[in-house]
Amino acid sequence: MAHFEIRDLSFSYASAKGKLSLDSVSFDIQRGEYLVLCGRSGSGKTTLLKQLKPVLAPAGKRGGEILFNSAPIRALSERDQAAKIGYVMQNPDDQIVTDKVWHELAFGLESLGCDQKTMRARVAEMACYFGIQDWFHRDVANLSGGQKQLLNLASIMAMQPEVLILDEPTSQLDPIAASDFLNTVRKINLELGTTVIITEHRLEDIFPHADRAVVMDEGRVIADDVPRSIGKLLFEQRNPMFTAMPTPVRVFYGAGAEGKCPLTVREGRTWLSETFPNGAKTKSLPEEKDPAETGEPALTMKELWFRYEKDSPDIMRGVSAEVPTGSLYAIVGGNGAGKSTTLKAICGINRPYRGKIKVFGRPVEKYKSSELFSRCLAMLPQDPKSLFVKRSVREDLSEMNADRDRVQEIAELCRIVPLLDSHPYDLSGGEQQRAALAKVLLTEPRLLLLDEPTKGIDSFFKETFAGILSELKRKGVTVVMVSHDVEFCARYADMVSMFFDGQILTTDTPRRFFGSNSFYTTAANRMSRHVFSQAVTAEDVIALYGANREALA
Amino acid sequence: MKKEENDAFSQCHPAVGFFFFVGAIGLGAMILHPLYILASGLFAVTYYCLLRGTRGLKTVALSVPVFLLLTFANPLVNHDGQRVLTYVFGRPYTYEALVYGMAIAGMLIVMLLWAGCYNAVMTSDKFMTLFGGVIPTISLLLLMVLRLVPNMIRKVAQLAGARKCIGRGAADNATKKEKALDSLNVLSALMTWALEGGVITADSMKARGYGTEKRSSFRMQKMKSSDIILLSVMAVLAAAIVRLIAGGGTAADYTPIMRITPVTGEHLAGFAAYCVFLSLPTVLYIKEAVQWRISRSGI
Repeated sequence: MAHFEIRDLSFSYASAKGKLSLDSVSFDIQRGEYLVLCGRSGSGKTTLLKQLKPVLAPAGKRGGEILFNSAPIRALSERDQAAKIGYVMQNPDDQIVTDKVWHELAFGLESLGCDQKTMRARVAEMACYFGIQDWFHRDVANLSGGQKQLLNLASIMAMQPEVLILDEPTSQLDPIAASDFLNTVRKINLELGTTVIITEHRLEDIFPHADRAVVMDEGRVIADDVPRSIGKLLFEQRNPMFTAMPTPVRVFYGAGAEGKCPLTVREGRTWLSETFPNGAKTKSLPEEKDPAETGEPALTMKELWFRYEKDSPDIMRGVSAEVPTGSLYAIVGGNGAGKSTTLKAICGINRPYRGKIKVFGRPVEKYKSSELFSRCLAMLPQDPKSLFVKRSVREDLSEMNADRDRVQEIAELCRIVPLLDSHPYDLSGGEQQRAALAKVLLTEPRLLLLDEPTKGIDSFFKETFAGILSELKRKGVTVVMVSHDVEFCARYADMVSMFFDGQILTTDTPRRFFGSNSFYTTAANRMSRHVFSQAVTAEDVIALYGANREALA
Repeated sequence: MKKEENDAFSQCHPAVGFFFFVGAIGLGAMILHPLYILASGLFAVTYYCLLRGTRGLKTVALSVPVFLLLTFANPLVNHDGQRVLTYVFGRPYTYEALVYGMAIAGMLIVMLLWAGCYNAVMTSDKFMTLFGGVIPTISLLLLMVLRLVPNMIRKVAQLAGARKCIGRGAADNATKKEKALDSLNVLSALMTWALEGGVITADSMKARGYGTEKRSSFRMQKMKSSDIILLSVMAVLAAAIVRLIAGGGTAADYTPIMRITPVTGEHLAGFAAYCVFLSLPTVLYIKEAVQWRISRSGI
């Protein structure tokens, strides 16, 4: 028996003047299934998920019907909806209601009016299952993003739902916390048999485990199949969604291979080994040139030491680096290692107690703040929302520069012209990122600092974003970015540095940097390192595959 | 590790703590008898220092000048009394008013110290445990509002930092008008942000069945037999003290004529009850520390 039956569902928002956000969507979701819903931002994924839990469904015009356990879902009482259908949202912070971890776990049970004995047992059980015992008594304010999201999941699971709906649950988390979270979701699916419906940008981690993938575009279902077949389908359709597929899939079809498509790094390795049983003839691509020395570096950091309070531990412990003018310089490293702190130190929000920072050869403290932040240095913060203070994107941009032509020009560069009259909070994550970038660019910086610019944006927006960055680079802007996104850094950065233990440990070109790492590297490299050397992006692997196939033929 | 976590009294059921502080502060506010204030002060200082460590000593030291200031200020406004010590601005500065000032200042500071202890012992979750069951909705609301404030402060810092890095926001040399205009910008952004967050929180509450049933309240602590014993002991002591106060055993008049009831005979028992009541947290603390030493030597 199907758990959910979606029959010819269509929906348009009350404010959308009849434009359909969902257009005759029909499919079933089986009991115990792990279903991935994918599609670009704004393709109707969230709208569909909210229809599956009517208390969250927005106002609008609805057609078709949804059956839950063979009965119309609208007839389900609010109590049953709460208890049977769990829903985890994107933002870890705002979902939390109370101030203590234990209280948050009990929140749903309190709402349902459970008695003390049941609550005690369920809360204890959940805390153990999710490994929360160690921070059970803590204030929620002191938790990390990953812990907060795990708490949100646990507090929903405490109500023992039959279905778990997750709307981009890991978009605000770093990769390690994200894969922990997704593993927990998978464990719930496997061990408890809970039906899981999830949307995600990071398909790499969940695609291999999913039973089925449904792809949406402009409110319609364009593909509905097992994950292994989805890649082929999208590739044949030349669908832009193909760029979001896991690396092994992209390499496989990109290289024009035939047969069973690999989904995981392990399968990718086997496939490459079988294709080249005697090893590859051309092992690596031509050596990339070091970025030419361009005289004065844009940014020099020398032995920076910093701590937040007098007797707290050092966050920066002798950070030194030199960023050549006109390059895209990426700093990667674990969570809480001090990467963002370093960017804030460059901007003067944090003041190192020892060490020197020079911007374009001049010590940063010699600049007046009006000089430093106009036509010189600017930073895009991690949360783009912290830059918006007005009611429309246009007003926000005009705050920076009254010149209408210049605003228009930058809006075109950042590809946000159609969004200029929207409220900044109505934009999607990727759109907000670009609008914020536009605002930052209006200060005409020569040195641009980016804090996690690809966090929470999907693969298409990433490509657009990379396009904007390369255009800036062409104009001579130096970009320093801090990121968890190794795939992005491998593909677009000129130099990559590893931040660890409060220092910058190694710096190299992406190919050499990721080529010599074996854990902290891209999926393409992990998949191909036994055959090729220093192939770090899917494009690298495809190029080498092509070269070697020709040699074989 | 914070000192509070070592404290045996803080480990008791929240009802014990709440009853104690209502007693200590409530009874203390009714008594202006110098000996009782002194006793209360002694126990308040001891327990406060046990809870807060050296930081506590600093607070106590800081309260001394406040005490002196209040003491010496009282005769300046209160001119009643029989023994004139001197004349200030042509008005009498009397002995009775001075002692009265001492009593009021002492009482005030002792109350503040007890309030400090209350803050350390009765954390917000204990308060919730106590009253969450009685008024679940209101206490939840209160808790959410309390959570909002530190969140807002963090966000203001984030907004200000972000604006600084694009050369907006109040620069060091900005005029007052510019600064005010910028604060308005930040404030409006903060409101939008908070509203948006509020919508999500509301969704999250709805998603977890908020408002579908009569709310129950999850309590972390059960009442143990030792808590019940402690509560009964405190109730008996408190009853004795209330009887004493009602009988005028703690009466003390300062102006115009000083009349302080001596602590003798039948009143002695009441005074002892007051001391025992106030010493309970300290006694528990010491008992626990000694017991811990003994049991640890057995490990």
